[in-house]
Amino acid sequence: MKYAFQAILVLAGCALASVSWAQEPGNHEALTKKDVAKITKPEFSPYAGRNFPTRVLWGDTHLHTAISVDAGTMNRIGQEDAFRFARGEEVTTTHGLRAKLSRPLDFLVISDHAEMYGLMPQLLSGDPEILATEKGRRWYDELKSGDNDRIFATAMEIVASLSQKDPPFKSDKAVRNAWTAYTALADRYNDPGRFSAIIGFEYTTMGGNNLHRNVLFRGDATVANRLVPFSQFDSQNPEDLWKFLDKFQKDTGAEVLAIPHNGNLSNGRMFSVQSFDGKPLSRELAELRASLEPIIEATQIKGDSEAHPMLSPNDEFADYETWDKSNLDGTEAKKPEMLQYEYAREALKTGLKLEKTLGANPFKFGMIGSTDAHTSFAAVEEENFFGKHSGVEPGPHRWEHVVIQAPDPNFTVMGWQQAASGYAAVWATENTREAIFDAMKRKETYATTGSRMTVRFFGGWNFTTEDTETRLPAGVGYAKGVPMGGDLRKAPDGKSPNFLVAAMKDPYSGNLDRIQIVKGWLSKDGKTEEKVYDVVWSDDRKPGADGKLPPVGNTVNVEKATWKNTIGSPELISVWTDPDFDPSLSAFYYARVIEVPTPRWTAYEALRFGIKMTPNVPMTTQERAYTSPIWYTP
Amino acid sequence: MVYALKRLLKEPLLHFLFLGIVLFVVYGFVSKRGNDEPGEIVVTQGQIEHLAIGFAKTWQRPPTEQELAGLIRDHVREEVLYREALAVGLDKDDTVIRRRLRQKMEFISDDIAAQIEPTDADLNAYLQLHPDKFRTEPLFTFRQVYLDPQKHGESDLADLLAKLKLAADKADASELGDPLMLGHKFAAVPVGEVAKQFGESFAAALPGLETGQWQGPVASGFGVHLVFISERTEGRLPALSQVRRAVRREWDNDRRLEANENFFQTLLKRYNVTIERLEQTAESKKPVADKTN
Repeated sequence: MKYAFQAILVLAGCALASVSWAQEPGNHEALTKKDVAKITKPEFSPYAGRNFPTRVLWGDTHLHTAISVDAGTMNRIGQEDAFRFARGEEVTTTHGLRAKLSRPLDFLVISDHAEMYGLMPQLLSGDPEILATEKGRRWYDELKSGDNDRIFATAMEIVASLSQKDPPFKSDKAVRNAWTAYTALADRYNDPGRFSAIIGFEYTTMGGNNLHRNVLFRGDATVANRLVPFSQFDSQNPEDLWKFLDKFQKDTGAEVLAIPHNGNLSNGRMFSVQSFDGKPLSRELAELRASLEPIIEATQIKGDSEAHPMLSPNDEFADYETWDKSNLDGTEAKKPEMLQYEYAREALKTGLKLEKTLGANPFKFGMIGSTDAHTSFAAVEEENFFGKHSGVEPGPHRWEHVVIQAPDPNFTVMGWQQAASGYAAVWATENTREAIFDAMKRKETYATTGSRMTVRFFGGWNFTTEDTETRLPAGVGYAKGVPMGGDLRKAPDGKSPNFLVAAMKDPYSGNLDRIQIVKGWLSKDGKTEEKVYDVVWSDDRKPGADGKLPPVGNTVNVEKATWKNTIGSPELISVWTDPDFDPSLSAFYYARVIEVPTPRWTAYEALRFGIKMTPNVPMTTQERAYTSPIWYTP
Repeated sequence: MVYALKRLLKEPLLHFLFLGIVLFVVYGFVSKRGNDEPGEIVVTQGQIEHLAIGFAKTWQRPPTEQELAGLIRDHVREEVLYREALAVGLDKDDTVIRRRLRQKMEFISDDIAAQIEPTDADLNAYLQLHPDKFRTEPLFTFRQVYLDPQKHGESDLADLLAKLKLAADKADASELGDPLMLGHKFAAVPVGEVAKQFGESFAAALPGLETGQWQGPVASGFGVHLVFISERTEGRLPALSQVRRAVRREWDNDRRLEANENFFQTLLKRYNVTIERLEQTAESKKPVADKTN
């Protein structure tokens, strides 16, 4: 006799500080009229006449559903449920768990793979046209074998097939049907003011060496239906994707952008200083890239791509959820010289160099985070993490399951190595497809590793310490400077740029440890340099003799998966002036905000399932945010 | 004891052993049936055409006579083995076959759902039946003063609340308490938006507060707040014309789920289902609570 267990996770996790203060006002008869007058200044509205973004919008630009050929091997949840989940509704997962976000997202891009778009459900339903092909037949049989190892092996084979030259099976009609069905669904779920269903797809080229991009549309289905997703079977060269998109924009008047992701798994190719076929970059190509790729995805489940400890040896926070053993599918080992072309900070620096030689900066990008989940669930909060793909959804053993199977077992990635990361934060003027798209174009965005902290970052020449006393940093920020993603020009004589930076904690996550400003610049002899400055921090700490700020401490109880907000600060704000500014050198500045330590998803999972993981599995994390840079060009 | 038994039942080796015994018994049973009347297999013209079309789809040409004969031989072989497999019940405990058949059935019910086009009356009825899905959210116009619990204790809070109460509506919260980037004034904000910014517990507390007076403390993920609600607008049910798109979307989704469920329930009526009670195990006491019963 067999019983089916249906475990239900209670996922409305939220760790609020429980404060129980007395309601009793006590004896306050001594209050005078003057006391009262002090707090009754004449009314005025600080909100009147504002036309800048007042609330940051949260979303995921990178989510796969059963429509994606690879995800569809293990995931039965379609696009409709993915939208419903992101809007905050409860949905049942492939494995029968009930799942819900702690709070809704403001926008979602379902970016299913362009390659064989929508053919997976048709393969699984035994479509005769697909079964008539040798590959289709064999995959179908394997996926239906009921043997989890064989299913997983086939899934990996299908992932690999995405990066071969020719499609294993092809059906243009089926792709077009699936695409228009998706764009219509996105239009149905697009709810201006409340939830933006932005249309997109993923161009998945050079699978192993990950030159993948997500393409996003500003418009609705009528715009998106003018093409079918450009796939790597059209061309494996991303430059051809840019040319295609550029032509599409010119022909139709539509607007699109592309977001590269997982530089960390590209084995030296994502931010290469050469063209795809190994020639030196041209100015035209650099300009084309910069115009179509205003932002990059700097953090996601498959590791963090902001900075690498080998490239930034003096940055003690550079080694965050690092995946650096090999390329994406573990077919080629990582060599140290590849790193410089993979990580965002290094690419921003390289961009300054290229601008000098080419006259255009191909890597003038802002940053966002996203999930790249293949589960249909944009769920990357530590206590509510649904994993990379449906083979590693919550369960007592997923930490020790294989996420990515490599030919060399050293490169195989295990479940616990997944990062519960990230989300895209966008300073849009309203929650619409158009406003969010426009904010991405002007790079007024930042990446977080899954926590939803609010970060403001402005650069200018005239910020003063009084500006930190304002309750509305955005008011003074926009009035006196440029926001994240902007440009500083024309240094006034004898002045150094200064930056108003402010951050507020995620009400559901940890307090803030510190705000840092990362500066990259091109020195006089043409070499790139970087420095990380601690600009404001919590708990009255003093930097040590080495100039390093002591760690904020750690209140995490791993066994109970709890922490206390008795360290850190709910909000930090500062004005920082570059102490080493040289007006003749180009530079960029971005803010990095670090939270106090909180339990990593592995700690929640160990508690939930009553299991013990091996000592090499990290149990705490320090969530962080990376803003888009502000550039200074002489 | 029960646990040990369950572990044993999960052992693949045991499954093989079990399968072996079943096959042995079945084989014995089948051999004894050896004298039965032979079954009837007729390969119809229609089936032959179907085989030929299938071949042509793959190879882009019709099969030769020899190839067709091969296809027919293979079809007969498949039919014989298929029938024998059914006769001995090999389909019964095969997960692959079970899932495939289940999926086929679900495709049928999905198709039924996709064909229904609702009338206005249908949608209106749906709207009336599910007012909570479409009601506009309650709106709150309020001011808040924030206190960081690391910096202020109960007495600071009480002092501040007393002052605010005296100033009442005239209180200017813009410079009171501790700074918080959220701002101090909120005009006609939907309660869902409040939840996104302050967290669920703060938003849940708002409807319980009186209008027109300073109250608190109200806890949030940031600390505590004193709150003055000057105006609240209750949610209302919009007319169909205003929410037609959303109603249609929800109606479609419900039909899809409902069609699946109805179809299943109709079939379920043909069965008496007995489910034996599961003994309490250590597993069900963990945080992963089973709430199905």
